[in-house]
Amino acid sequence: MSRDTNVKVSPIETIESLTKEAEHLKIKLEDERQKLNDVTLAAVADRLEIINYMNVKPRRTLKGHQAKVLCSDWSPDKRHIVSSSQDGKMIIWDAFTTNKEHAVTMPTTWVMACAYAPSGNLVACGGLDNKVTVYPLSLDEDVTLKKKTVGTHTSYTSCCTFPNSDQQILTGSGDSTCALWDVESGQLLQSFHGHAADVMSIDLAPSEIGNTFVSGSCDKMVYLWDMRTGQCVQSFEGHESDVNSVKFHPSGDAIATGSDDATCRLFDLRADREVAVYNKESIIFGINAVDFSVSGRLLFAGYNDYTVNVWDTLKCVRVCLLYGHENRVSCLQVSPDGTALSSGSWDCTLRVWA
Amino acid sequence: MDMVVSNLQQQRAVTEQLRREAVIKRVPVSQAVADIVKFIQEHEQDDCLLVGFSSQRVNPFREKSSCSLL
Repeated sequence: MSRDTNVKVSPIETIESLTKEAEHLKIKLEDERQKLNDVTLAAVADRLEIINYMNVKPRRTLKGHQAKVLCSDWSPDKRHIVSSSQDGKMIIWDAFTTNKEHAVTMPTTWVMACAYAPSGNLVACGGLDNKVTVYPLSLDEDVTLKKKTVGTHTSYTSCCTFPNSDQQILTGSGDSTCALWDVESGQLLQSFHGHAADVMSIDLAPSEIGNTFVSGSCDKMVYLWDMRTGQCVQSFEGHESDVNSVKFHPSGDAIATGSDDATCRLFDLRADREVAVYNKESIIFGINAVDFSVSGRLLFAGYNDYTVNVWDTLKCVRVCLLYGHENRVSCLQVSPDGTALSSGSWDCTLRVWA
Repeated sequence: MDMVVSNLQQQRAVTEQLRREAVIKRVPVSQAVADIVKFIQEHEQDDCLLVGFSSQRVNPFREKSSCSLL
């Protein structure tokens, strides 16, 4: 009549027990992070010299889009730029001469994402068509002849990038997921679920062997993902509105973000927390795009007030403003060798600063 | 019933995510920040947008000289 005590009963998980555990873990996490928050970035940077002279000037204006420029990407050759627009066009520019080498009409307006492949021989784009399409670049024939649809989301494609080779494309979407696609077969290799709203921006870890990427979303969150497993590795909160742009620090140890809450922030991966906020009381406009200079000392940020603000990432102060655009700055990117900055705007132009 | 199951699954995913994040190894902010400063200082001299060009000749986007020899 004795009971069988050898049967192991797994603890029954209920919504209540799981919720309680989650609350407990959240408090523990916050405690742990706070315990290690022993100094501020600005205090450490206090002994450093200020940046008192910057000679960055407008050098080129690229005119040709008929509507808002939404996205742009430098070619690995540091000379060409691909841009996409609300007018449904994707243009390949020679930024040295300002000539247009290709103009491709997409079957949709609002082409919100475009990217160069690492070889420089292929570009990808997508937008309100929910797709990501690749175009092999060739000067001899119409590039649309060899276009190929690689992936399809259930909502708009907001961003795309090639992780280390021409064979794969990583996309972010309004369907709140990210996805990794095989270019050749169009197969979905991995999907990344976790965000509770539209994914606006993604960026790959700078290391060539890196298998992580970061995403920013309208759920105000920033997630770090493992590309192989599809799992979220770390999450960062702090922003009070949509996160429109995310970018790895060149060291690979931190992430900068730009948000509709009018702040840029720096999150450190190893400290697992926010380490800096870049804002001023006078700045009330949202940020659409951020990128670092090659050393990581400067953070360029494109704002809805038509300006590009340049932040000293260490001293946490604004170094200067770049004026020129006549509408929102929607995208910006430092060239691969760090010699120039491109910016795109709702004023239909792109500009190159150096 | 399906609703209950899906809510349970959703909460399980949230809790499991927090469990994973709870065991992450962290370093003090002072150490993380010192490493960022070190990286920047090691690369500042190559940062053309920060320190400029040694000569405008090496700036690929410089304006072409407006005067020329006849």
